Amino acid sequence: MRSAYVQRQREEHGRKSIVVLPVHYPKEILTAMDVLAVELWGPPGAPRGPEAGRLQAYVCAVVRNALAFLAGGHADVVDAALFPHTCDSVQGLATLVTDFGGWSKPSFVFQHPKGPTRASVRKYLVAELRSLADGLATLTGRPLDVAELRAAIRLHRTIDEVKTRILEGRGRLATSDRELYATLRRGEWLWPEEHLEELRVLERQLPEAGAPARKGVPLFVTGYVPEPMSILDALDEVGAYVARDDWAAIGRRVVTPARALDLEGDPFETLAALYYEAPQCPTRSLDQAGRLQRLLALYDQSGARGVIVHEPKFCEPEAFDVPAIRKAFGERGVPLLYLETELETELAGQTTTRLEAFVEMVGARRVA
Amino acid sequence: MSSTRRRVEYEIVKRLVGPALMQVDHAQRRVKSLRKRAAKPAGPFGPPLESVRKLKELMTRHYLEGRYADGAVPVAWVTSGFPVEVLRPLGYHAVYPENHAALCGVQRVVPHLSEATEEVGYARDLCSYARTDIGSVMLQETPVGRLPKPDLLCCCTNICQTVLYWYRSLAAHFQVPLVLIDPPFVYGEAKPHHRQFVRDQLDELLVVAARVAKRRAPSMDEIVGVTKLAREGTRLWGECLAESRNKPAPWTGIDGFFHIAPIVTLRGTAECNAYYRQLRDELRHRVAQGIGGVREEKHRLLWDNLPIWFDVRGMSTLLAEHGFNFVCTSYTNAWAEAGSRIDPADPLGSAVFAYTDIILNQDLGKRFGTLARLAEEYSCDGAVLHSDRSCKPYSIGQLDLKQRLAKQLDIKVMVLEADHGDPRAYAVEQGHGRLTAFMESFS
Repeated sequence: MRSAYVQRQREEHGRKSIVVLPVHYPKEILTAMDVLAVELWGPPGAPRGPEAGRLQAYVCAVVRNALAFLAGGHADVVDAALFPHTCDSVQGLATLVTDFGGWSKPSFVFQHPKGPTRASVRKYLVAELRSLADGLATLTGRPLDVAELRAAIRLHRTIDEVKTRILEGRGRLATSDRELYATLRRGEWLWPEEHLEELRVLERQLPEAGAPARKGVPLFVTGYVPEPMSILDALDEVGAYVARDDWAAIGRRVVTPARALDLEGDPFETLAALYYEAPQCPTRSLDQAGRLQRLLALYDQSGARGVIVHEPKFCEPEAFDVPAIRKAFGERGVPLLYLETELETELAGQTTTRLEAFVEMVGARRVA
Repeated sequence: MSSTRRRVEYEIVKRLVGPALMQVDHAQRRVKSLRKRAAKPAGPFGPPLESVRKLKELMTRHYLEGRYADGAVPVAWVTSGFPVEVLRPLGYHAVYPENHAALCGVQRVVPHLSEATEEVGYARDLCSYARTDIGSVMLQETPVGRLPKPDLLCCCTNICQTVLYWYRSLAAHFQVPLVLIDPPFVYGEAKPHHRQFVRDQLDELLVVAARVAKRRAPSMDEIVGVTKLAREGTRLWGECLAESRNKPAPWTGIDGFFHIAPIVTLRGTAECNAYYRQLRDELRHRVAQGIGGVREEKHRLLWDNLPIWFDVRGMSTLLAEHGFNFVCTSYTNAWAEAGSRIDPADPLGSAVFAYTDIILNQDLGKRFGTLARLAEEYSCDGAVLHSDRSCKPYSIGQLDLKQRLAKQLDIKVMVLEADHGDPRAYAVEQGHGRLTAFMESFS
């Protein structure tokens, strides 16, 4: 489906496309340069070819599957690849496929800085954004137009605003989690304007504020990516739904700036400002306390009655925060379920049973 | 307790107690070694290095001083690839949690410390160095008696991103400032704005480190002085390693893993350099005498990645019994190579290169180049690539590296899956069986 879409974008709009590894990258620059971003979160399921065996079994499956996918020629429909500086594994993949085989088309890296904003970081980030734009110009054959970048920033701001309204109103939205997250995740590969149209359709389904909450046990989820997607079906079956999420792939990438942005000035400076307005993510932030504060606030706002920490195996940035998350919610007496799932396999029966027991326990607490 | 009293205690330990204890320890060891020499049959190794005693003395004193450091002098917990030269003129006592975790690995206390972290939710898949040190902090237990509480956490991501998550957890625990040097990974050649970023971070580090130490920022002369020592230390360390180009190699690569401790933890100090002068001279003497680290060296191997700390003795004995010696390791070499880029004439400018262009912060093409060069320079006829569950950045790409090394250098290469610290992730019998089969393939 994605291949056909990429092909159509090329034929109908003359658009180049680029496969992008998780998590954070300046999509606005790609949009401004008329480049379609197609994100590669694995893909889930069994690796698409034997090349996954070039990485040890203790490397995260997102990266192992991506290696198999790229080296197996499954992404050949796109024109280039972009590797953000997410973690050691994505960084390792970037050099493995380009230096030792697996990806022969152009590749780009976006080495976003880590840690809090400082003079050095701000200056570097702007330079790195410009460098990426210069690199992409070699792919598109034309330099980035500043006015187009401003327009792209505005477009993505609108997308995030609509997403925010949907996610904040999730408790009143009748749509199932599976439908909701399928729509949200289509943003990983749709052209942004088309994605916005779909989001607006969803937004129109939101009942007025004050409408009764949807049925089921509301839960707050933090984690990496909602895979396997059957976890959402499993929640539905046991009478629960995701009231708010902090999945790195979804909620954690929706930016709601606390202060007004200068949308008319240097757009690279605007992007750098946006970077530091984004929710705390362990792949780029040093501030664990700030992250915990945000998670607790989201939990409170969502009306959730329990927390699921949903992580894929071998994901270091996520895993290091788990004890602190457990402690923070534990001190508040919030029920918490730690769920480690495999990207390669469907949800195990055992996991469904754990979910069921957790939701029952949370539901019972409410009655009490 | 007042800081003056702590300072007095610290100085007494540093100047009097430490040296005195070392003298007593030295005398006791001397007696023991005389007894042992008489009783112990000859093993597969050459005679032990005399410098070992000095190494133990240095490291024991370092940890002993550390016990009295907090409250007396500023204390920094530092990652192994951090530009410590900036901290030394400010009087910091530097603690290296990685070195401490390695020590815990050798003493096989990692499972105990790690279990404490696993109980609160840290996954066993995480780096065993991190689990060990966090466990040590939680339990307040350490084989070195006591680690001083940090005033500053110093993290450089040129060795891995794991240290970022690890130190972030430490910062949350200790509630002290965390400074980060974040050198962008080098694909091909570093871009000018990448290098400028590292330089700017070094300038910021000077300010933060001085503020935390409650001292004025170090003068350029002070930094130059430490940088000269650091440069000299890494040069001497490189000379020690280079002695293994001789046949037989005068020591083993496993010895090198232990003797690396001063260049990691005491880099930029006169005592570090004095130690490596002594070690180098001893190695040269052994070369002149034809004394090998392994009694009958038949095959020379390259080791890639960190050691398996809890099995270094067992593994090296197994290999030595068959005449195999790890004559070079990419890990110990990294400290010599990085230091060679340090230039006292431009301490901060050259630090940008020294701390960015290190093996783990560079692409796999360069990594292959380093391994191939080492294998040739040290006349290796085989290589063991330690696929280390606890060190992903070092291990990713090894399966491809194995093929390339074997094909392009025409040497035998094996990948050995283990862990640098956690014995629960490695079956010794199975590992030794694989090594034995590997050695048999040489015959």
